[in-house]
Amino acid sequence: MKKTILYILFAIFILLQLIPVELPTTSMDNPDDLLLNNTDIPNEVVDILKNSCYDCHSNETHYPWYSKIFPTSILVARDTREGRLELNFSDWENLSRVNKIGVLEDIVTAITLEEMPMRIYTLIHQDAGLSSEDKELVINWAEEFSDNLYD
Amino acid sequence: MKNLLSVAIIMAFSIVILSFTMVSNEQSTTPQSSDVTYEVPNNVQVILDNSCYGCHNSDSKSTKGKMKLNFDKLGDLKQGKLVSKLSRIYNAVNEQDMPPKKFISKYPDKKLSDSQTETVKEWANDLINKNGGL
Ligand code: HEC
Ligand code: HEC
Repeated sequence: MKKTILYILFAIFILLQLIPVELPTTSMDNPDDLLLNNTDIPNEVVDILKNSCYDCHSNETHYPWYSKIFPTSILVARDTREGRLELNFSDWENLSRVNKIGVLEDIVTAITLEEMPMRIYTLIHQDAGLSSEDKELVINWAEEFSDNLYD
Repeated sequence: MKNLLSVAIIMAFSIVILSFTMVSNEQSTTPQSSDVTYEVPNNVQVILDNSCYGCHNSDSKSTKGKMKLNFDKLGDLKQGKLVSKLSRIYNAVNEQDMPPKKFISKYPDKKLSDSQTETVKEWANDLINKNGGL
């Protein structure tokens, strides 16, 4: 009896894999990228952004194995889609100066309130979590970068 | 020959001095980030006090609301940040995102009327232009 239920569950799981989930497309060629166009950003900050934010906030998403498996595929697809919509570092140079300043403020708020990187992401990508030093580095960089945009 | 030399020296001097004054002229005509204009006329203040200030002040219980917009600090911001906040205020009232829907359902009198919305938009727009535009 127990075995049958297991078999059925397994069959359902396999069948579920037939549901198509389209992951947002990726591209490594992004001429308007933040990091590409601002080579003076400190290396530590570059590493943090690449390691903790770029999977959801750029076109350079590295999809993990579980993004190809239903139902986690739905979650990854949604977070990547909505993350890019909210902030896409690959399109940075297309933002107006005022919008860049606004987004940099949002980054400071999101990191201060520990809303970003998303909890569900750091649970799996342990190394993507930000130490208090990391947070300070990004916040200080964002404030300074923002101030320099208006000179 | 001697005369020609002194004329040349005087001309060279004048050009150097002239180019210096031209450079400094150029600097003084471009808006400096210190020239911040921030003023809130009474008719705008009344609206902000009634519908916004409760969540967007230094003592607000809403940490996020306070971090995103703090009317107590708005006048201290550098020009770039001020313009960015003003443009978000414009959008927030224009799209009726603020005050939040949940809050309005509890306190319907805090909802901005059409004319109040226009007043806030005009105020924000005017200050944006006075601070160098978008
Ligand atoms: C797992 C995907 C994911 C990761 C990783 C991630 N984000 Fe996000 N981010 C999102 C999503 C989805 C949204 C939009 C929904 C929301 O606000 O929660 C968002 C929203 C934002 C916003 C806008 C918030 C607002 O107040 O409007 C900012 C700023 C932001 N993220 C910054 C970052 C930064 C900085 C990092 C890295 C330290 C990061 N995010 C890492 C998914 C992610
Ligand atoms: C009940 C509390 C409350 C009231 C009243 C309120 N706000 Fe907000 N406001 C918030 C909160 C909370 C946020 C942060 C929301 C978020 O980004 O998730 C916010 C965010 C904002 C933002 C930032 C939006 C962004 O995306 O950066 C602006 C601008 C704003 N409010 C303007 C106003 C204005 C103008 C009024 C009055 C007409 C007002 N608010 C009234 C709570 C309030």
